[in-house]
Amino acid sequence: MLSSPFLCVITDEALCPLSLAEKALMGGATMIQLRHKQASGSQLFLWAVEIRKLCKKHQALCIINDRVDIAMASQADGVHLGQQDMPIEAARKLLGKHRIIGVSASSVNEAVQAEKDGADYIGFGHIFPTSSKEKDYSPLGTETLRQAAALLSLPIIAIGGISHENAALLISSGASAVAVISAVSRAPDPSFAAHKLLCAINKSRS
Amino acid sequence: MNGNQTKKSHLPPLCLISSGEDSADKGKLLLNQLVRLPQSLPCMVQIREKKLSTKDLLMLALKAREIQLPAGTLLLVNERVDLALAASLDGVHLPENACSAKVLRTLAPKLIYGCSVHSPAALHIAEEAGADYLLFGPVFDTPSKRIYGAPQGLEKLGELCQATSLPVFALGGITPENVSLCMAKGAYGIAALSLFRDTDRLADTIEELYLHLNP
Repeated sequence: MLSSPFLCVITDEALCPLSLAEKALMGGATMIQLRHKQASGSQLFLWAVEIRKLCKKHQALCIINDRVDIAMASQADGVHLGQQDMPIEAARKLLGKHRIIGVSASSVNEAVQAEKDGADYIGFGHIFPTSSKEKDYSPLGTETLRQAAALLSLPIIAIGGISHENAALLISSGASAVAVISAVSRAPDPSFAAHKLLCAINKSRS
Repeated sequence: MNGNQTKKSHLPPLCLISSGEDSADKGKLLLNQLVRLPQSLPCMVQIREKKLSTKDLLMLALKAREIQLPAGTLLLVNERVDLALAASLDGVHLPENACSAKVLRTLAPKLIYGCSVHSPAALHIAEEAGADYLLFGPVFDTPSKRIYGAPQGLEKLGELCQATSLPVFALGGITPENVSLCMAKGAYGIAALSLFRDTDRLADTIEELYLHLNP
């Protein structure tokens, strides 16, 4: 599933992740990442169980940000780890080889290291300026994405400032997928926004 | 029989909770405390550093695990079963809003699960979930908890201890002078943070507390 061009929708800290996930999946999202730094463990677990069910129904993947414990407890498809989260090796021991471990990289070096350490995909960005997260470095741009894609054999999910207008460019620059937060969550019609992104991605392939 | 009875006797009656205010030093205070624990007086040690990243928290847990601790001392981490497993800790302590011990025990059956309980409703949930011990507080006035209102007091502690067969640790404003008041109300032991901050006095403090825990 990770090898075809696909769309990852990350939940929005300020919105209910369940209704967002459902809308994104109806629009064709192939991966939902539950990311909610403020939520309690019990709340995260309940959300994760529900999102996993929704993802199963839509044949999509359910990935949990940072919390390996919640991913294990909810039997999610995997985790997404930032550079300040659990190291890949430790997470792999807990999750086994069949669960997915995605890793954020904000440089080619970090991406190469994550591949060496046994990640299953690389979240690479931010590619363009973004308002969704506070960033202390400048956007990487598509040229850096190309460099990373040339060096890596793992699928790359491009993230940061992505819309249906620039999504195709990222796939043609070597990304296997794009990940978005606000482009779907803050759209007037999140399902349609996800659908438009998928159309853009698929067009780039043909 | 869910294992509570067998485990109960193994729990040390004294629980040291890490300061949680040590993010700049990445938990160095806790490591300093651990190397100064008096031999032959076991403690429960709860790593509770909410401001640390998951990576730093795991590093701290691994360093803590490497330290030669007094026999019977148990290392727990707040909430994160994944970190407890990754660092081979003995258990996790679950705040009231954590994922249920019942769910987590399916992932890691051998860990000790403690639950914070601040109300009768939470007691019911913790018992249902198969908690190994309970943490109740604040019993006495403590600066760090004033934002949550008045302390719960000794009477409430006594009511909780009456209502459950699980070991109850009293937390909040504990000093060597008031430990016996908590024990008289049926507490199994006591827990504290700031009481253990002075690492030079740590061994003396623990020895003094133990006098009141085992009269």
